Amino acid sequence: MSIDLSIFINYGPQLFLGFLMTIKIVISAIILGIPFGLVLALGQRSRLKLVRVLSASFIEIFRNTPFIIQVFMFFYVLPFYGFHLPAAYVGIVALAAFGSAYFAEVIRGGINAVAKGQLESARATGMSDWQAMRYVVLPQTLPIILPAMTNQTLSLVKESAVLSTITVGELTMAAVKVQGETFRPFEAFIMIAMMYWALNETIAIFMRRVERKVSNRSNSGLASRTALADPAVKDR
Amino acid sequence: MKFDLSYTLDALPRLLDGSLVTLKLALLGFAFSVVLATIVTVARTVSKSRIFGTVVAVYISFIRGTPILIQIFLVYYVLPIIGLNIGPTTAGILALTLNSAAFVIEILRGGLASVAKGQFEAARSLGLSGFALWVKVILPQTFMTSIPPLVNEFTQLLKATALLSTITVVELMRVSQQIYSNNYHPVEVLAGAFMMYFLMCFTVSRSASWLEAKFEVKRA
Amino acid sequence: MAVDTKPKGNFLEIIKIRKSFAGMTALQDVSLSVPKGEVVCIIGPSGCGKSTLLRTANWLTPADAGEVRLNGKLVGAMPDPRSTSKQARDLNAVRARIGMVFQQFNVWPHMNVMENVVCPQMVVGKRDRDIAEKKALAALAEVGLEDKKMDWPDNLSGGQKQRLAIARVLAMDPVLMLLDEPTSALDPELVSGVLAVLKQLAEKGMTMIIVTHELGFARSVADRVIFMEGGQIIEEGPPNLILRSPSTKRLQCFLEKLNITAFKPKSDVANHRAIKSDLRI
Repeated sequence: MSIDLSIFINYGPQLFLGFLMTIKIVISAIILGIPFGLVLALGQRSRLKLVRVLSASFIEIFRNTPFIIQVFMFFYVLPFYGFHLPAAYVGIVALAAFGSAYFAEVIRGGINAVAKGQLESARATGMSDWQAMRYVVLPQTLPIILPAMTNQTLSLVKESAVLSTITVGELTMAAVKVQGETFRPFEAFIMIAMMYWALNETIAIFMRRVERKVSNRSNSGLASRTALADPAVKDR
Repeated sequence: MKFDLSYTLDALPRLLDGSLVTLKLALLGFAFSVVLATIVTVARTVSKSRIFGTVVAVYISFIRGTPILIQIFLVYYVLPIIGLNIGPTTAGILALTLNSAAFVIEILRGGLASVAKGQFEAARSLGLSGFALWVKVILPQTFMTSIPPLVNEFTQLLKATALLSTITVVELMRVSQQIYSNNYHPVEVLAGAFMMYFLMCFTVSRSASWLEAKFEVKRA
Repeated sequence: MAVDTKPKGNFLEIIKIRKSFAGMTALQDVSLSVPKGEVVCIIGPSGCGKSTLLRTANWLTPADAGEVRLNGKLVGAMPDPRSTSKQARDLNAVRARIGMVFQQFNVWPHMNVMENVVCPQMVVGKRDRDIAEKKALAALAEVGLEDKKMDWPDNLSGGQKQRLAIARVLAMDPVLMLLDEPTSALDPELVSGVLAVLKQLAEKGMTMIIVTHELGFARSVADRVIFMEGGQIIEEGPPNLILRSPSTKRLQCFLEKLNITAFKPKSDVANHRAIKSDLRI
């Protein structure tokens, strides 16, 4: 088997455009998906049973079905409700919905990890549920959920490839086109595999730096333990 | 246009057949994946070769860093070029196996770490070594502690089989597409398939606790 | 014999509270009436329901039956005649006037000392930042933390964290303070600092309900001591009376058990300090 290196050069720009589209789609999906995931996570804690059931059902449905069938469902159902969106937008909606279910679980885990006393002390000052969440609990979940949120984002980058099945012009679609023209599937797909891989690694490395910065700020325990152990620290 | 349930019901028999194919694909893929992952895990733990370790690490990184769809395309389109003319179903199972194995290797690595080191020493002092040591003592414990993530991985496989529709494997997703390309009612047909995927995955993920109880997973 | 305190239309009225957790009864028809300015200490063995009772005062733990009124206004009740949204609004409003101090401090680690005290004022009290900061500085001064205002809670000792929690409460101008074992999680040498602050507040006329194990503190500060056991109030009265000569056998047993560990003679405390200074080389 021979590898035709000219493919990389000739079709590089085309693939790069697809790459940009992938990035645009993923960013849009996160911008929609994370806030909605927060809504779902808080919805699971709602006082109203209906809200709790709806939130939990949404999450279970989107986590227990393949993304590809969700994409097709959105693709065929949205027009019936008057949403005649181009394929890319359908893709963003589908990816955002899929992502939000997973983001919701991560956020829920984060909220549960923050000590119960934090929520209680906030409520005891007279804050409403939402105020307590917004000012006291959620800020503390941030360093906790950052790694898992990063993982979910990377997962969305990979799932975005599925959007090629509804002809969204992202990276995989571009490769399929190249393969169709050149009849060289190996070069086409291995090249985009490398691009996905590189994108994922870049995001992962960047997020690790962000995680380190965020966790330095809320360095729980270490500083106070050091202070208490020091006999020179006086109380008054 | 209103949702016409009759189209869903009419499609049900064929959708059920498709579900069976989906299950078969997932089970085969999972079985092969677990076997492959176990062999690699044992080899990696036992072997002193750094090359082997690096190869495995690169393989895992590649699988986890690239979309499954691309992995499926690579196996399906590229193997015939090398001369391996395997059909879409075999290619699909192969792709799923290679994908899942990477994750199972990581799961087993975690499970292995939780098996106390003392187990190795105790077994060795009893005269067990090599094959027997692994098969009778270490691996059973590794698997028992790994039941929840393994069940989760199987669920992932179930969902991944839907992607094989893109390489013409006739599983549930592909069957749905075939049906609605004839009756022009994609929403009703897809809804039926959607329900079936949900039932399969939901049942499987709920079975994790049942499985643990069945194997009486005790944590010493 | 359980003492039944009949509601006298007092400042804080806890009326016939019943609460169960997972089949176990924590509070059995307990009533408590607190006039304005009174300092009440609740003592008792662990599991007797004293913390639960305290937490029904601001409905942090909703009761299964009974009601709580502050200055005549309903704090919480079961069953509640109000709509759910009115309940929530009223409750938040009333909690803004009640300050609670927890055993585990619960200071907010993602904000510095100043922000901890400013935040509830602005969010709940709807005060402007400059007013909130002025009040915060005053509150921090009252607890002796004014020079730590830009510090982060992680850098504070346990006693300082608890005093921060108290300052956070004070800045809201509470009419009632609820303290749930405020010194139980503190290292012994830090306890006196916090108790001194609380004593100051009591002397200024703050209405306080304190669940505590510190009987010496109760004796010097409380107007009334309440002894609970098994979800009921067993005995209550002025500290000098009931702590020196309890009229119930159960209180007597409780005090005897505590006497062995609680009342360390002063010399031991001095030794404890001396040992530490040796290590300070």
